[in-house]
Amino acid sequence: MTELSDQALLRYSRHILLPELDIAGQQALLGARALIVGAGGLGSPVALYLASAGVGQLTIADDDVVELTNLQRQIAHDKASLGRNKAESAAARMLAMNPEVAVRVIGERLAGQSLADEVARHDVVLDCSDNFATRHAVNRACVAAGVPLVSGAAVRFDGQLAVFDTRQPASPCYHCLFPEEGEANDGPCATFGVLAPLVGVIGSLQAVEAIKLLAGIPVALGRLTLYDALESSFRSMKVPRDPACPVCSGRSSGSE
Amino acid sequence: MPHITFAAAIQRHIVCPEREVVAPTVGAALEAVFALQPELRGYLLDDQGQLRRHMAIFVDGHAIRDRQRLGDHVAPDSRIYVVQALSGG
Ligand SMILES: [Zn+2]
Repeated sequence: MTELSDQALLRYSRHILLPELDIAGQQALLGARALIVGAGGLGSPVALYLASAGVGQLTIADDDVVELTNLQRQIAHDKASLGRNKAESAAARMLAMNPEVAVRVIGERLAGQSLADEVARHDVVLDCSDNFATRHAVNRACVAAGVPLVSGAAVRFDGQLAVFDTRQPASPCYHCLFPEEGEANDGPCATFGVLAPLVGVIGSLQAVEAIKLLAGIPVALGRLTLYDALESSFRSMKVPRDPACPVCSGRSSGSE
Repeated sequence: MPHITFAAAIQRHIVCPEREVVAPTVGAALEAVFALQPELRGYLLDDQGQLRRHMAIFVDGHAIRDRQRLGDHVAPDSRIYVVQALSGG
């Protein structure tokens, strides 16, 4: 690992003060690669925190452009970003915050082989997408490549968070939890609305879990965290592997 | 008596208050609720009576294993929590 410069020691000093991270943890972050799928409500805090925290190589993917209705909650963008690709707009903000990290922009919807290839070249994937088809596709790619997945979702006043790491024998995958693409939809934000800081809560939790994974801090697997903003409550549910899961049951578990 | 709660995301579609039910299994607990609220059945279960795929049910904090027949055991003091997958981001 490369030595940290004086500037880096200063920039990341509040991380280095944490015994769980220390210099080695920060170096691990600086050497790590994270893929952020979606640069919207969840992707905004995820992208900003991973960049500020010094995750060395960040790839952010989104095919959408910034609209005025996004600015209520998608805090990586601003008025000057209107009409601009979301991944590009978020990347500019990430680099303004921390030019020490490398940010790569994918201005298209990741799918099929390109999704599989991108997932395989990262150490962690953050699902910040807004639809079930992408969620299941990202999960399949993560299981196939053995890359941990930090999944977040939020709508109205409700949020969900889960970490899947199918390199660990006991870890379920997203499909073990919700077996197929949802037939009924919980609906996009455009239909049902979403409380602005809700995506900040869930996106920040995703960033926390990703940083732990990358820094080698143990992460709770097989758990679904539910946040109800109206009730001001968190619930934690245990999710086992589905032995018949068509996505992950055939994996060579525990090979790493 | 077992206690059954429906997550807020489900409440947005069908109002379903928390209830106490007398039931030895998850399936029986749901039937007890459906007797009071028939409109909930089609939202939670498909035509074959299986749990819909974007739904998950937890008994005392653990996901049920039998999504087909909902035969997971429920203790007299169990808490059942019904959740719907969210996709928004
Ligand atoms: Zn699975």
